[in-house]
Amino acid sequence: MKRIDAVIKPFKLDEVKDSLTALGVTGMTVFETQGFGRQKGHAELYRGTEYTVEFQPKILISVLVVEDLVEPVVKAISDAARTGNVGDGKIFVSSIDDVIRIRTGERGHDAI
Amino acid sequence: MSHVSRRHTRDWPLKVAAAILFAQMITGPVALAFADGPQADPAGISTGDKTTAFDAGGNAFVVSEPTDKNAPDYAKRKKAFDEFQAQAAKEPLAMKLADDVGHLRISTNFSWTLLTGYLVLFMQAGFALLTCGLVRKKNAGHLMMLNFAAYVFAFLAYYVCGFAFQYGATAINAAPTNLGGTPTLDRFLIGSGLWGFLGGKGFFLSGPAYDAGSLCLTLFEVVFMETAGYIIIGAICERITFWAFILCELFMGAILYPMFGCWVWGGGWLSQLGQSMGFGHGYVDFAGSTVVHGVGGFAAMALAVILGPRLGKYGPDGKPRAFPAHNLAFVVIGTFILLFGWMGFNPGSTLGASDLRISVIAVNTNLSAVAGSASAMLLWYFLFGKPDISMACNGMLAGLVAITAPCAFVSPNSAVIIGILAGMLVDLGVLFNERVLKVDDPCGAVSVHGYCGWLGAVCVGIFADGTYGAGWNGVGATSYLGAVGQGVTGLLYGDYRQFFTQIGGATLMAIYAFGVTYAAFSLVNAMRSIRVSKEVELEGLDVPQFGLPAYPEDRVELLAPGSQVQARA
Repeated sequence: MKRIDAVIKPFKLDEVKDSLTALGVTGMTVFETQGFGRQKGHAELYRGTEYTVEFQPKILISVLVVEDLVEPVVKAISDAARTGNVGDGKIFVSSIDDVIRIRTGERGHDAI
Repeated sequence: MSHVSRRHTRDWPLKVAAAILFAQMITGPVALAFADGPQADPAGISTGDKTTAFDAGGNAFVVSEPTDKNAPDYAKRKKAFDEFQAQAAKEPLAMKLADDVGHLRISTNFSWTLLTGYLVLFMQAGFALLTCGLVRKKNAGHLMMLNFAAYVFAFLAYYVCGFAFQYGATAINAAPTNLGGTPTLDRFLIGSGLWGFLGGKGFFLSGPAYDAGSLCLTLFEVVFMETAGYIIIGAICERITFWAFILCELFMGAILYPMFGCWVWGGGWLSQLGQSMGFGHGYVDFAGSTVVHGVGGFAAMALAVILGPRLGKYGPDGKPRAFPAHNLAFVVIGTFILLFGWMGFNPGSTLGASDLRISVIAVNTNLSAVAGSASAMLLWYFLFGKPDISMACNGMLAGLVAITAPCAFVSPNSAVIIGILAGMLVDLGVLFNERVLKVDDPCGAVSVHGYCGWLGAVCVGIFADGTYGAGWNGVGATSYLGAVGQGVTGLLYGDYRQFFTQIGGATLMAIYAFGVTYAAFSLVNAMRSIRVSKEVELEGLDVPQFGLPAYPEDRVELLAPGSQVQARA
């Protein structure tokens, strides 16, 4: 089982969600967060005083998939979330030791 | 037995204070009962009669007998008086009707004054929203409570002695004829005649102040005092202790505001400089650019200097850091509410709808407001490339503050110019305070109310065009500067004396408000710090001061209140 975390721009959430459900991914967890990458922050002014804006609002989508679905899901997320501008985000793929469904107690692939 | 005597020893200051208060409370009514002078009218059944009936031009229905036999117009006035007496004898019913008319005029003015006073009261909500929006989220509850407690405690101080200090002698030189004259408020505590410094009747709003006309004046004037009271919040928020704040409000309501208010509006010495020293119409401030906003703004400045800047506001190199507003929606709504309330603040200061200048005042007020906002936005855009929302709002408030003194005396064109000047002054003032003086003023209170308040009073001395205010402060009732009916006049219309009087009075106000507040609260601060501790300031003052966060769901443990099964150990 693999965990796919995608940090994307907040307004891309609906598109990414739709493309994932089209692939048959049945659930996801969404975090509101902030982040930055290689792009530098920029300066803004508040009542004449400068302050640096580094962190940008982001959404982190976390889904669990079987190994066969990893590449299709990565491609779907990338295509849906891409704008071509700086700040589009990143996708992390990691291994999961176990998954448990709380209501029924199922484990492993049955719980995804 | 020794412990009994020790308890009595500690009690005596309280007993003396209680005795003094009691004596004060009963001397009022007792003195009135034995007095020959005017009687208070708490039921309002003897206020307003034919002597308060006037025509549009301000001519009294009742023609009074001329007393000065050597005056040039004595013969003419004696003839008019004799004619009136003859007519009165022939038409007694007309005289009775005149009593009704006079009463009706007073009634109109009562409702005007009270209703505009309620509008000014509503400005409390506007300022609460404005200041709450301008600070950080962790202090939102603190700001709201400061605004709330300001109204509560300053009002009580004004009830105890503030009104008496400010208006206790108003019948002598500044009787509010639109409200029936409040004849029972006729004694100075300090000073006399044209050189009064503090009023001395009406403590605890009892005795001579327990009168329909007097309390009408009280309601209107207390909400003005409250305005000065909440202005200081803008500069001291996010780091003041609550007990020290209550002390500030009691100080403002009991003495700081009323004393200067007596000098300008209660018939005190500043207003009488025209009669006593020939300084134009004396110091003139129609609705309080300096009496209210200037005093509030410069007192705020003194407190901000004593408190010092917020933690982290200035870096080690002295460069200021931005603490952005947490809710700009509040800021804008608050500004609109203040604008709406100002429709009571300025036009209401005629104390009567019988004075038709109220429409000119209302329009001038709005013109200055919008001109101030536009000029502030434009200047900011030229300086920094984007018009700042909070400065657009501060610009409108600056325009409003600056027009508050001259609103009754200037033309609409002048009102626009005054607004433009105020908008620029507030922009530059905010930058000056933050970057040069390094006085941390979270809401810009010092610039909006202090600097623009001073500007407003000076603008009276520049732009007043003489079309209103004949006889103001007892000067020039029959003619002024050679013209009949000439009112308060400024430099551009030929009265340089008024200009210098305005500059002098406004500057005195700044020195007074800053100086007295700085002295008093430096003393308080030396005894016990008026600033919260570092840990409290960094956490946010909502919980340490009041136990209640304004946004509890920001805390993880309060995300779902009511669902906790039991507290963890």
